[in-house]
Amino acid sequence: MTGTTPQLGPATLAGTMPATPEGTATRWVLDPRTAVVLLLAASVTIMAPDGIWFVPAALVAGVLLAILERAWRRAIGLPLAAGAAAALTYLLPMAVPSPVFGLVGVLAGFALRLVAVGGIAAHLVRTIPPTRLIAALRSARVPMAFTVSGAVLLRFVPTIVAETRAVYDAMRLRGLGGWWAMLRHPVRSIEYFMVPLMASSLRAAGDLSASSLLRGLGSEARPTSMHPPRFGPADAVAAVVAVILAAATLLWRSGQ
Amino acid sequence: MILLKDIRWVYQGADTAVLHGLDLYIRRGETVVLCGPSGSGKSTALRLMNGLIPFFHEGTLDGEVRVRGEPITDLAQVGRVTGTVLQHPRRQFFTDAIDTELAFALENFGTPPQRIRDRVGEVIAELGLADLTGRLRELSGGQQQRVACAAAITHGPPLLLLDEPTSNLSPRGIADLTAILRHLREQGVTLVIAEHRLHYLRELADRIVVLQDGRVGREWTRAEFAGLTDEMLREEGLRGLDAPGRAGVAPAFAYGPSVEPGESRPRETAPAGEAGERAGVATAPGPGAGGAGVALRGIRCAFGGRPVLDIAEAHLPAGVITAVTGPNGAGKTTLARILAGLQRHAGQVLLDGRPLSRSRRQRACAIVMQDVQRQLFTDSVTAELRLGTTPDHAEHAAAVVADLGLDGLGDRHPLSLSGGQQQRLVVATARLSGSSIVIFDEPSSGVDRRHLQSMTRTMRDVAANGAVVVLISHDADLLALAADQELRLCPLR
Repeated sequence: MTGTTPQLGPATLAGTMPATPEGTATRWVLDPRTAVVLLLAASVTIMAPDGIWFVPAALVAGVLLAILERAWRRAIGLPLAAGAAAALTYLLPMAVPSPVFGLVGVLAGFALRLVAVGGIAAHLVRTIPPTRLIAALRSARVPMAFTVSGAVLLRFVPTIVAETRAVYDAMRLRGLGGWWAMLRHPVRSIEYFMVPLMASSLRAAGDLSASSLLRGLGSEARPTSMHPPRFGPADAVAAVVAVILAAATLLWRSGQ
Repeated sequence: MILLKDIRWVYQGADTAVLHGLDLYIRRGETVVLCGPSGSGKSTALRLMNGLIPFFHEGTLDGEVRVRGEPITDLAQVGRVTGTVLQHPRRQFFTDAIDTELAFALENFGTPPQRIRDRVGEVIAELGLADLTGRLRELSGGQQQRVACAAAITHGPPLLLLDEPTSNLSPRGIADLTAILRHLREQGVTLVIAEHRLHYLRELADRIVVLQDGRVGREWTRAEFAGLTDEMLREEGLRGLDAPGRAGVAPAFAYGPSVEPGESRPRETAPAGEAGERAGVATAPGPGAGGAGVALRGIRCAFGGRPVLDIAEAHLPAGVITAVTGPNGAGKTTLARILAGLQRHAGQVLLDGRPLSRSRRQRACAIVMQDVQRQLFTDSVTAELRLGTTPDHAEHAAAVVADLGLDGLGDRHPLSLSGGQQQRLVVATARLSGSSIVIFDEPSSGVDRRHLQSMTRTMRDVAANGAVVVLISHDADLLALAADQELRLCPLR
């Protein structure tokens, strides 16, 4: 065996904490309850009839959240993606009147709404760890069936993405990947993709479930939180900005 | 502490019992190692002790299970008095930071917030985790396993169960884990460890229990265990007691910032110019970069602007097994992905002197991944072996299948096989693919001595057929058996 044997004991590093206290909400991070309410409000408003009016407001909110999070790529990419979808929705059918481009315009309209909501959803996924989401929803008295399943979903999304990439790599190396193979044998290609994806994801899910259940997730005890969720100045600012954006949208709409 | 009495357990849908007549009593404060060949029931016995059997895995259970004198009634009840560490720490983490991961069980069990903060701080100090920074997924395997141990004991269980905890660890990672286990043992925690690798447990275990066919075949005390010869261990199908050395393994011809010089290696003699001056140089008295096999020239790869691999030149000859070793983050997997054409990079990869594009490398390469379920595509073992097998190699199928212990499984669905059997099936497909480059990425986790040897034979067969064989592994037992030359990588600074 190589390497040195570390010396354990309180004398060496007593009382110090790691540098990444994920559970500690910093001052300018939204409380998960605020983020969830923002997301739900944006989704319901935008997906409702005439909801397209609220797309610019949601985009502004998404860009502001990305800037808050210092996710510069998203802050730039979000308006660009929305601009492209808007061009396909409004300009393409006007420039080339045809049923096909009309259909493309309708689909792009849906994409535009999804992009607008996606900006806020991305902030929630990227900044709120599963345990903080559980703690916040629990304090909002959301039933455990929703808190636990929501947190597990949040935890499991990156795993599914990683497994998808790995299975696609494995397919390429066995000569099963690529567009040509998929076009020639679409059903078989889907089978070759889905079977290992489900198997490896289920195995990862099994380990996670077993470990979580043994550590009391979903047990009868009333759970607590290392850092109980608390509203801060960021939440107040977010609420004010949301009201301003909604009011501006309503004024703009009545002016039209 | 634990009583297992006349246990019989059959997994749902299985024909045979995994445990059959198992009797075991573990005393408070004892450190017990469960070992035995693959499929002997080690992991299953642990699942009985933490209640995953029968409350998570379905099947038929007969016999009596008691933990701290009580029968197990539900997972949360047994979870309060046990901690469990699995093979893959990353899969069992619920969060991505050390403090929240440690707090997870205490939060779920309803501990007051101030008490949670105090206890998390205590455990971080006690297990020396304060020097670990960054997100959990960015830590090395050994560091992740230390965090997994800490997360399993933060709620103060008197019993810690570990299922092959070293299967993905480097020697340094094993040393770190051993120190933690020794500390916990001194604190009076009862430890039960299911394991193939035994050398690190020599000074730690009070009792070694060999499971065979689902029951206790043999038991040794620590003194008896230390006196066993390699021959006696081999008879039981167990791995050796001494950490194997690799003194005779030649360094591969390679130089560049990602290549570790190594004390025993001759310093660079040939490379001229900038690359040679940047240090990070290791070379072999072996073949130059011009012979048959793979040559790497100016290979550089970065993720998000952060360089992860930089090899000025390297030669991986055909017909020999090149072990790629080094700590986590040194770029082993990145190198494998570059060889397989799965990763964009700067520089050139040549096969037998000719540059090979990424897409051609994808066709010329086979990989045995760590998680083999990702590579099993069809509905039977026979179909899996046929998929991608060239006619030239199909005639060897029967011999390969027999050698890897897959006889009689032709009609089984690959996903119905045990983990070890699945792994050997993927090894067989790589063997039969006839690829010019075959990469084995940690192929020996959870593998016993017998299958370690058959896996080595398979790798040798692949090499003997003229392929470039690359073995990425931390497993000193496998490296001692299989490696002809070693390319040791180091993290870039």
